[in-house]
Amino acid sequence: MATQPPGILGVWHFLAPITHQEPNSLAMIGQICHTLAMLVARGVTKSYGDIQALQGADLDVEAGQIVSLLGRNGAGKSTLLSVIAGLTEPDGGSVEIGGLDRFTHPDDVAQMFGIAPQDTGVYLVLTVRENLEFFGELARLSGNNRQSRAVEVASQLGLEKLLDRRASQLSGGEVRRLHTACALVHRPRLLMLDEPTVGADVETRAALIEAVKELAAEGAAVIYTTHYLPEVDSLAADVVIIDEGQILASGSRDELIQAQALEGVSCVFAGELPLESFADCEVARLTEPSSVEPMVEYRILGQLSIAELLTRLGPQVAQLQSVEALRPDLEEVFLSITGGRLS
Amino acid sequence: MSDALAITRLQLKILRRDPWFLVIMFGMPLVIMPLFKQTMGLSLNDSGFTDASGAEQVVPGQVVMFSFFVAGSTAFAVFREHGWKTWDRLRASAVTPTSLLAGFALPWVIIHVGYQTALYVVGGLLLGLRPGLGSIPALALMIVAYSACVIALILLVASSFRTVAQVSGFQNVGAMVFGGLGGALVPLDQLPGWARVIAPATPAYWAMEGHKAVLLEDAGLIDVLPSAAVLFASSVVFGLLASRRFRVDETKQFFA
Repeated sequence: MATQPPGILGVWHFLAPITHQEPNSLAMIGQICHTLAMLVARGVTKSYGDIQALQGADLDVEAGQIVSLLGRNGAGKSTLLSVIAGLTEPDGGSVEIGGLDRFTHPDDVAQMFGIAPQDTGVYLVLTVRENLEFFGELARLSGNNRQSRAVEVASQLGLEKLLDRRASQLSGGEVRRLHTACALVHRPRLLMLDEPTVGADVETRAALIEAVKELAAEGAAVIYTTHYLPEVDSLAADVVIIDEGQILASGSRDELIQAQALEGVSCVFAGELPLESFADCEVARLTEPSSVEPMVEYRILGQLSIAELLTRLGPQVAQLQSVEALRPDLEEVFLSITGGRLS
Repeated sequence: MSDALAITRLQLKILRRDPWFLVIMFGMPLVIMPLFKQTMGLSLNDSGFTDASGAEQVVPGQVVMFSFFVAGSTAFAVFREHGWKTWDRLRASAVTPTSLLAGFALPWVIIHVGYQTALYVVGGLLLGLRPGLGSIPALALMIVAYSACVIALILLVASSFRTVAQVSGFQNVGAMVFGGLGGALVPLDQLPGWARVIAPATPAYWAMEGHKAVLLEDAGLIDVLPSAAVLFASSVVFGLLASRRFRVDETKQFFA
């Protein structure tokens, strides 16, 4: 993927924590310096019975890069994250984190990444501080470091005044923030957030996005799955589109929009569109008519303006309910690549 | 090992926040003990222990039976992690499956030993049970051996069962059936012949053998070694089977 390198400062931030760790971590530096690819997944396959959840998925994420993994429900996003995190064993393919094989160096790799799965998982009977310190301890943070990081991360996510409050007494958005904070507490070099803003309020969403950007600015690689496309812009993230277990496209937002060269109109029409009038265009029917809803949504790609559409429809223009020119945005790119809407 | 200790501390912290299960499990046998003391006394007198008051049966019997209920919490703790969605977070950390098992077993062995000891002391004081000082090491050995055995058995259950309802069923029925067959509810010689034949298959039988030998026959450490050895050997077998059966990626269903 074409991405912006994190710059020399980002690289230093990325390497600095390793130099204070154990010898086997020091051995990683050579490999990491060779390439800044924090994650390299190749040909990952996974089936659940007859369902092929992943069909040879490839994914690269570099230090300092935020990658937004876009896909509909069941596209394979969570399964891919689960394989990378070692929670699901793949049927095939390879995963390297920080230059180390995910499956032959599970202990070293586990300390390098943090994951906030889709389902919120915190200890409700413990306080915010206790939750953060516990996950810090599992990530091998020393006592003092653990305590200071708990405060730092809580403050990053707007939880600093709630440190001594039990998680059961937090609001839904606060629990969501705590859930994400637990993945950040050990300052991971690869952070995976699976739909972190589902059900989150505006404040929570803003705090999470800010925290993710800060972490990436420090050199961490971030994989962020979401259904909310405005978040991709807010994060200035690169985009990877996954559908039916396959990575269909990747690149920066602008690259993808340019590559798709979307031009045309979308319209809602009562009944069947006279396809013969649009033989030079690519017509896609996005919805099917029903007894309840007879209107059909079409997307017509080609050298076609709204005025031209009206002319070509002739007397059938009365059946036209609405029309708009296609704006080249990520939603349209996603639609064009997968044939369906993101949400 | 540090991971196992971190999980142990976490489990103890969670229990401190909600100790009522243990409080109830401590209070109930203390209510039951005096109710059956006299009946058990007559039963022991019939069996030839003419000086027995009944406390020698009812105190260890209730300790052995209710300990099984308490041990069930080890499995509930594992299933609770699935319900709280924290299990995958533990797995995603560097914690090995062995450390995970140890982290869940260790706190409950400690709690189990403390629970049995406290129940013995309070129940004994209430019912006038006064074992000689020389008997204390033998009783302590039996308590530790029974704890190890029952917690290992419950870990095997946690490893094998998929839903918390299955665990709950095993805990409740197991406590009653194993306790009944093992001589914790009534003395073994009051049971039908077929029950006496299969009684040695239960941990409760060996625990009661050891406890009653100390309380009724002034047995010492050496005398209870065979019973303790059976319990320790069983705990090793259960523990090995549990670790063999334990799959971290298996989905467990907590209360819906």
